[in-house]
Amino acid sequence: MAIAKAERLMNLALCLLGTRRPLTKRELRSSIEAYIEAGNDDAFNRMFERDKDDLRELGLVIETVEGIEGDVGYLARRDSNRLPPITLDAEEAAALGLAAKIWQQARLAGAASGALQKLRAAGMPLAGEGASYDAGQPHSALEPRIPAHEAAFEPLMLACRDRRPVVFDYRKSTAAHPEQRQVEPWILECWRGHWYVAGWDRERKAERVFRLSRITGKVRSRQGKFTAPVPDHVTVRETVESWAGETATGTARIKLRAEHGYPLRARALTVRALGDGWDELEIPSGHGLDAWLVEFGPDVVVLEPAELRAEVIDRLRAVAKG
Amino acid sequence: MATNAIDQTRRMLSLVTYLRERPGARVGDVARAFGITEDELIADLDVLPMCGTSFRGGDLLDIDTDGDRIWWHNPDDVAEPLRLAADEATALLVAARAVATLPGLREGDRQALLRATAKLEAAAGEAAGASSRLSVTFESEGGVFADVDRAIAERRRLWLRYYSPARDELTEREVDPIRLFAVGHTYMEAWCRLSEARRTFRLDRVAEIKLLDAPADPPPVELRDLSEGLVQPAAEDPEVSIEVGPGGRWVAEYYPHDSAEELPDGGLRITLRTPDPASLRRLALRLGGDGRIVAPQALADSARQAADRALAAYGE
Repeated sequence: MAIAKAERLMNLALCLLGTRRPLTKRELRSSIEAYIEAGNDDAFNRMFERDKDDLRELGLVIETVEGIEGDVGYLARRDSNRLPPITLDAEEAAALGLAAKIWQQARLAGAASGALQKLRAAGMPLAGEGASYDAGQPHSALEPRIPAHEAAFEPLMLACRDRRPVVFDYRKSTAAHPEQRQVEPWILECWRGHWYVAGWDRERKAERVFRLSRITGKVRSRQGKFTAPVPDHVTVRETVESWAGETATGTARIKLRAEHGYPLRARALTVRALGDGWDELEIPSGHGLDAWLVEFGPDVVVLEPAELRAEVIDRLRAVAKG
Repeated sequence: MATNAIDQTRRMLSLVTYLRERPGARVGDVARAFGITEDELIADLDVLPMCGTSFRGGDLLDIDTDGDRIWWHNPDDVAEPLRLAADEATALLVAARAVATLPGLREGDRQALLRATAKLEAAAGEAAGASSRLSVTFESEGGVFADVDRAIAERRRLWLRYYSPARDELTEREVDPIRLFAVGHTYMEAWCRLSEARRTFRLDRVAEIKLLDAPADPPPVELRDLSEGLVQPAAEDPEVSIEVGPGGRWVAEYYPHDSAEELPDGGLRITLRTPDPASLRRLALRLGGDGRIVAPQALADSARQAADRALAAYGE
C-alpha cells in the first residue's frame, strides 16, 4: 500500500523543521520512506514540489538556500516558524470557538479548526477550563453560519489573497447570456447570505461588483500582476444595497389599506389615517420600489411621484394580461 | 470534520506540540481539545510513530497509547507552536469580526472577541494581512436578538407579533425558543404554541416581542443541519411552475427549486414545491412582465385578479 500523504507531509515538515542546515533534495529523498518509493526522478520531483506547496499553505516558511556547489537546499527555520507568544483567556477562547464555527466552506472550516488547534497547542485553554466562569449560560446562544456553496468561492478567495487576475463568464441579472469578464479581484464580501466580489474590470476599465451565484463556469487564473491600483477602501455593500433599492433617492406618497403592509409602515416617514379603511404613508423611495409595491396588489395605491405611479400601473397591466 | 491529508498534517503538527507539554494525556481530553473524534485521534496516533524528526531517517516519534492515555517517550524540541498560515488567520479573524459586529450580541462576548482579535492580529503578523480581503456582515435586529438570547438562556416563553409576508399580515403567538442562528439574516427556531409545530422566525419580521414569565417547554426536537438550507420542501408539497424571461432569472437565486430549465430567449422554466402555493401570489405580482405562473392555474388566476382589482383603483 502506498504511504499515506499525511505521513509523507508530516515527515517532510519534521525534517525541515528539525534541521539546522539546509537539506538538499537528494538528502530528503533518501531519508523519507515515501520518496524512496516514489519511483523515477520525474515522479519524485512532482511529488516534492507539490508537498512543499502544501506545507507552505499550512503556514510553514520554507527557505530555499543556494549551496556553494550550486545545490539547492531547504529548511524551515525555527524562529521564522514559531508562533509569537499569545495568551488567550477562557472567555476569549470560547468566543473564538463560537465564531470559528461559522464556516461551512471546506477550506475555511479546515483552516479555522487548524488555527484553533495551533492555538490550543500553544496553550489556549478549553472553554470551561479557566476560572471566572459563570455557571449556566454565560454566552450568547447564537449559532452563526456562513454558506459558501458557490463553486467560484474558493478560486476567488485565493485570487484575492494572492492578488492574481482572473477570468470568468458572468451573466448579469437581466442578461440572457453570460459574457466573459477579465477581473482583478480585490475583496469578497458576504451580505445577507450571498457572496459578492469587487474588483477592477479590465475591459470596462472600472470598478465592478459581481455576485458569485451569477458566475457561470470556471474561474481561471491569469498570469501576471494587477494593473490597476487597489483602493484602500472598497464599498461592496453600498453597491449591493443600491441594487437592492435600499438607498433612498427621494420619497413617495402611497395609500395603504389599514392593517396591511407592515414592512411599509415600519419604514414610513409619516402615517396618516384617512378614515375610510385606508392610510396615507410617506415612504423613502429608491431603485426597485415599484416592483415591491406591486407585491401588495390591491392594498396599495401610489399617489406620487407620477413616474412611480406609471411604473406600477405598467407592471400591473403586464400581470393582468397573464 | 473532513479528514483530508492537509487537515490531518496540520492537526498532527499541533498534536505533537500539545502532547509534549502533557505526558500521559487522556485520549478523550485530547480529542475534545482538538475538536475531533477519538477515532480520528487514534488514526493520527497510528501515523505519528512512522514520522521521524531527522533526515537520517532515525529518531522516529516514539508516541504510543494504551487507548486511555498517550505517552511520548522521546519528546523533541522540534515540537514548537507553529505560526498561523494566511488562511488560518483569515478564517478566524473574519469570523470573529463578523460575529463581533452582530447587533444584540452580549457585551461580554463582544469584548472577548475584540480582545481575541487584537491578540490574533498581533500574533499572526503578516499572515493577518489577507484577512481584510474577505468580509462578512450579519443582519440582525439588536433588540429582538437580545430578547431571544435571554429567553433561551433563562428558558422562558416569548410572545411575538410576527409579520408573514406570504399573507401580508401580523399574527400574535406564543413561542418556546429552541435556538438562535444567523445565516445572512438572523433567525429563531421555536416551538410555536399557536400552530403546535416547529417554526423558523426571521428576526427582522418580528414587529414586537415580550419575554413572558412562563417557562419555555418545547418538546424535544432534532436540530436541523443548518448547512442544508432553511427551506426544505416536502415531497408531497404541491408543485408550482414559473416561466421567467431574462429579467426574472433572479427567482432561481432566491427560491429553492427542483429544476431550472433554460429557455431559448435566455429565460428559465422553474419548478418548485411549496406547502402553500397561494403565498407565491406576491412573486407573480412582482414579476410583472418578467415572468408568469404556468401552474397551478388557481395561483395564476389569483395573481391576475389581484392585478385587475389594483388597476381599478387607478381608474383603469
